[in-house]
Amino acid sequence: MTLVTERTKPRVLTNPITGQEIVLVGVIAVLWAALAVSTPAFLTAGSIQPLLVATAPIALVGVGMTIVIITGGIDVSVGGAIMVCSVITAKTLVSSDVSLGVAVLISLLSGGVLGLINGVLIAYGRVHAIIITFGTANIFMFLGLQIFGSGTVNGIPATLGFFGRGEDGRTLGVPHAFLVTILITAACWWYLRHTAGGRHFYAIGGDAQAARLAGVRVQRRVLLAYVITGLLVGLASCFVIAQGTSTLDQSVGSGKELAVIAAVVIGGTSIMGGRGSVLGTLLGALLVQTVSSGVTQLGWRSQLSDLFVGIFIIVAVGADLLRARARRSR
Amino acid sequence: MTAATVEKREKTDITRLFLTQRIPLLAVLIVIVVVTFFINDAGGYLTAPYDFDYMSASLINAVPLAMLGLAEMLVILSGRGGIDLSVGAIVSLAGMVFGFAYGEWGWPLWMAIIATAGFGALCGAINGFLVSYIGFPALIATLATFYAFKSIAIVINNQQPISTAPIQDLFSLSKSVELPIIGQYIPDVPLGIFTFLLPTVVAVWLLLARTAYGRRLYGIGTNDVAARWAGLPVRDTRFKAYVYAGLISGLVAVVTVAQFASARPDAGVSGNGMALPAITIAVLGGVAITGGIGRVAGVVLATLLIVWLNAGILLAFVGNEGSQYQLLALGAVLVFAALLNGLTNRKYGGAQ
Repeated sequence: MTLVTERTKPRVLTNPITGQEIVLVGVIAVLWAALAVSTPAFLTAGSIQPLLVATAPIALVGVGMTIVIITGGIDVSVGGAIMVCSVITAKTLVSSDVSLGVAVLISLLSGGVLGLINGVLIAYGRVHAIIITFGTANIFMFLGLQIFGSGTVNGIPATLGFFGRGEDGRTLGVPHAFLVTILITAACWWYLRHTAGGRHFYAIGGDAQAARLAGVRVQRRVLLAYVITGLLVGLASCFVIAQGTSTLDQSVGSGKELAVIAAVVIGGTSIMGGRGSVLGTLLGALLVQTVSSGVTQLGWRSQLSDLFVGIFIIVAVGADLLRARARRSR
Repeated sequence: MTAATVEKREKTDITRLFLTQRIPLLAVLIVIVVVTFFINDAGGYLTAPYDFDYMSASLINAVPLAMLGLAEMLVILSGRGGIDLSVGAIVSLAGMVFGFAYGEWGWPLWMAIIATAGFGALCGAINGFLVSYIGFPALIATLATFYAFKSIAIVINNQQPISTAPIQDLFSLSKSVELPIIGQYIPDVPLGIFTFLLPTVVAVWLLLARTAYGRRLYGIGTNDVAARWAGLPVRDTRFKAYVYAGLISGLVAVVTVAQFASARPDAGVSGNGMALPAITIAVLGGVAITGGIGRVAGVVLATLLIVWLNAGILLAFVGNEGSQYQLLALGAVLVFAALLNGLTNRKYGGAQ
């Protein structure tokens, strides 16, 4: 009886783990093994911990970006948004004696507002997301530079040390920033797969018109996707501040949008919308950071890591295209 | 029909003209910007005079901007999410190639320019191959090549710029010249306008408006399924759009090297890079991001608007405040243009 019900149950969900994710785990394992052999210092806590700390903000913003891209949009303003959130939070920390929770709230709030601006313009202006976010990227950068005033923010207290590099930033040797990222990724993974609201994002990306006719409130959902991204940008900014020394300079966030998009597409999310997983994005971010960490540890020029990232994007997306072609011809 | 409805119809027609015809709108905006800064100048609010000489000198910035805007226009026209994020990285890498060929190996200038443009076209061909023959989304393919080209440009000469004597002498290419015959009555114009920008504008215009290729490009951009059924070589047409964009980026590399008097490995990617302003110019000029719609004149006027707006902002603020407000202006203008495009599409079904 149970067997029969299970068989007749319509198969809405795809496999919990996709091929891309297994391949990524394999690639990361091979890279780590190769690095462990070639540079003995690689597989030590002193090398892995900074790697995980550096992965956290990219993966976290990547989770939001994954949802945005699943709906068929994109957000290239996250670099500027990270700049705004981290400078607001850093300045607050310097000027007043706020606690960890308050600092995180301020950062989340600023990120949420920026996400709301993007979301409103995109959902209700009905303009393609890439154009709007190219525009807001400039505006956010202007805002960030204005708040910076001139130069850098110095003497940031260690309030956010909980997410940071030092001893008190870890539990059982795992950096808190990475733990939080895993928790949020897991929560989003569950939300996207197992709730109606989450699956609406896929429906919108697959065919927004059909989703609307099926009763999905498309504009609100799209708005929500950008607000989630903004909130995660806010949290990621806390990680960024905690990562560094007590100084924050104006280059913070610069170029991060492309790093995040790279992590998302390497993770197997389709840029056309309708398909993707936040788990893949986490692995994609880990892969990108492993490459840049590996390039540095092998003593190569650090800029070479960009070349490898480019190649990984082409290979990962190319493999996906080949699979899609195989699916169609079957 | 009563007189009132006729009057209303006429009024709507003018609104419609400005909303759907990007070129009159841009012309009006340019006049507003220039007049605003002239008034500010007369009132003594600017740090230096904003006059025709200054406007003419600032056109030097229009050369790379308009050329890359036209490059973006070609790929955006080709449709299916066409966009080229790698133009800035191609400028960097092709600039290094030019630096080696002309500055280090002592090639003749014309040969070095042809080699650089050819190299740019080769980079564009990689993009075009990935997008049109393999089927990569343009955003992904050009994101990947952006990373790859940028990395190679920086590593190829150990992060060092090339600025040997022949390269430094090229700076004369970016000086201003007096035009023959009428030159004494108007301000001197940057040489690059005549050697690089005008030929590119004319070539792209001829390509789009006077050749079968141009018609095909608009056709596949509007609806590539229909174009395929109509028997058009969709892949080949789209592929060539990326090659032309790369070729133009290669020429911009030469212009940039001359302006900096050195081949800098980060020339096209430092700060915001060159791709973002180029895409902004194209969209502002009325190129529809979905493809198939766009005109050369729109891109040129959009460039003039941005260049003269930026030049004015630079005079209105002291220090690096000016460059920050340029960011704001670029962003605000882009959001405005995009919302306008969206509104026009909904109201009148497509901007021209």
